[in-house]
Amino acid sequence: MHNIEFREFKGGLRGMKRFRHLAFFATLATYFVIFMGGLVRVSGAGLGCPDWPKCFGSWFPPTSLSQLPPEIDPSLFNLTLAWIEYINRLGGMVLGIIILIVMVMAIRHFRKIPRIIIPSLVAALLVAFQGWQGGQVVASELRQLYVSIHMGVAFIIVSLMIYITQQAYYLEYPDDEKNSVYPRGIAIYIGFLWILTFVQIILGTEIRSLLEYMPARFPLLPQSSWLGKVGIISYVHATLGIAITVGAWQIASKIFKESKAVSSLVKQGAAAMLFLAFLQVIIGAVLAIVGLPEVLRIFHLWVASLLIGSLLLLYSAFIQYRRSQ
Amino acid sequence: MNSQGKFMKRLIWVSAAFFILAVASLLVINQARRSRNEVPVLGQLPDFTFTERSGRPFGLADMKGRINVVDFIFTRCKGPCPIMATKMGELYKLYDSSSRVQFISISVDPEHDSLTVLQAYAERQGVTDNRWVFLHGAIDSVVNLSENGFKIAADDLPGGHTTRFILVDQKGRIRGYYDGLDDASLGIMKTHIRQLAGETP
Repeated sequence: MHNIEFREFKGGLRGMKRFRHLAFFATLATYFVIFMGGLVRVSGAGLGCPDWPKCFGSWFPPTSLSQLPPEIDPSLFNLTLAWIEYINRLGGMVLGIIILIVMVMAIRHFRKIPRIIIPSLVAALLVAFQGWQGGQVVASELRQLYVSIHMGVAFIIVSLMIYITQQAYYLEYPDDEKNSVYPRGIAIYIGFLWILTFVQIILGTEIRSLLEYMPARFPLLPQSSWLGKVGIISYVHATLGIAITVGAWQIASKIFKESKAVSSLVKQGAAAMLFLAFLQVIIGAVLAIVGLPEVLRIFHLWVASLLIGSLLLLYSAFIQYRRSQ
Repeated sequence: MNSQGKFMKRLIWVSAAFFILAVASLLVINQARRSRNEVPVLGQLPDFTFTERSGRPFGLADMKGRINVVDFIFTRCKGPCPIMATKMGELYKLYDSSSRVQFISISVDPEHDSLTVLQAYAERQGVTDNRWVFLHGAIDSVVNLSENGFKIAADDLPGGHTTRFILVDQKGRIRGYYDGLDDASLGIMKTHIRQLAGETP
């Protein structure tokens, strides 16, 4: 039995499934591009291509100096860094095309369903903005504020894609949360945890900015001692991280102990939230103890984006539950 | 498949994805670090023939087998050239125990910088052997070598010439560009010269 919104959809059940799969694929692709962005940052390849949108004046990175145009400083050329940055740009471009297809499908089939069409349009606009803003990041020679905006927009895009995928799922299975019973106020707890996680990400971004000034402020200090010079903010970040994990544990316990007929989506979302919150604290602790190894810095940021995603998924599920009551 | 089996299957998939991403990023980060530390091969110099202040022809073949530090100068220059000449002179003295490192100054003002003028200029710099050569060539050839060989713009010559020192290896390949007025940049060049000296010619 499908609802009125489903009847507004002209593509049939198969078309709807296809749209949901595409939106899910776009979500995975966005997470992959976020990971690539982190990799570009920690490997120092942000200026691997010093121009934008081209790379050393061509659409493919040059393989030797002889291919450089005369106006570009040849001392900037590093083939490895150029390719790392180029793959990130290429990934962003492919993602842009996928999100554009999501938008076109949404316009064709879901234009009367605001919870699909609006986020699809906003995501397409944001991905176009993100492409342009990436150029500004390069032009500003990696100004902190611009890099943070670039990351923030990526987080918004991935949140929109999760929301679209989930709403498409609920169009297909509108009764998914109908028989479930969840504890009162659970959506508010999740919302609160989301806000805390968001604050935590901003604190993390601030710490990262402070760390990047360390080589200039303390040129002889080894990387393993940088965190000690960051100050009180790192302790606030660690404490809040533990508080979020305890909160996630409490919420997950409440969901599993005090609910009835928990939907598979909520089960998986709660398990993912708990796993990611724990993982994030472990990665944070290892970062502090071992001395900020680059690969863990990428995962610290990436797991934060996954955690935000799992919280959004749970929040939307509880809203759907409330709607279906 | 029961729900526990499904969960385990998913857990394996997620762990595998995390593992693959971790290994791939470790490889990429290491490669990026190595690429920054190594002296990259930036390109091959084309063949050319100019005239050395002594009157003998000098070309790419004379650069091969030696580590070369190249700059572009003109003897009447009142701007950065005296500092560049001082820096080049310091390097010339630093490596005086070996003829493995060769210094090459190419004139961007060939009309004025005749072989005699270059000879006098070399003497003023305290050059006593063939480790530091001063080259004279037609202006079109100099511009061509600068733009198409060294990949350095050659507009508004002679005044607008580059202040970079270019490192060319034993096979005539460009290995680095350095600021000829900056000691820190020249410090990096010295490290690179040491690395090139360890490479098999």
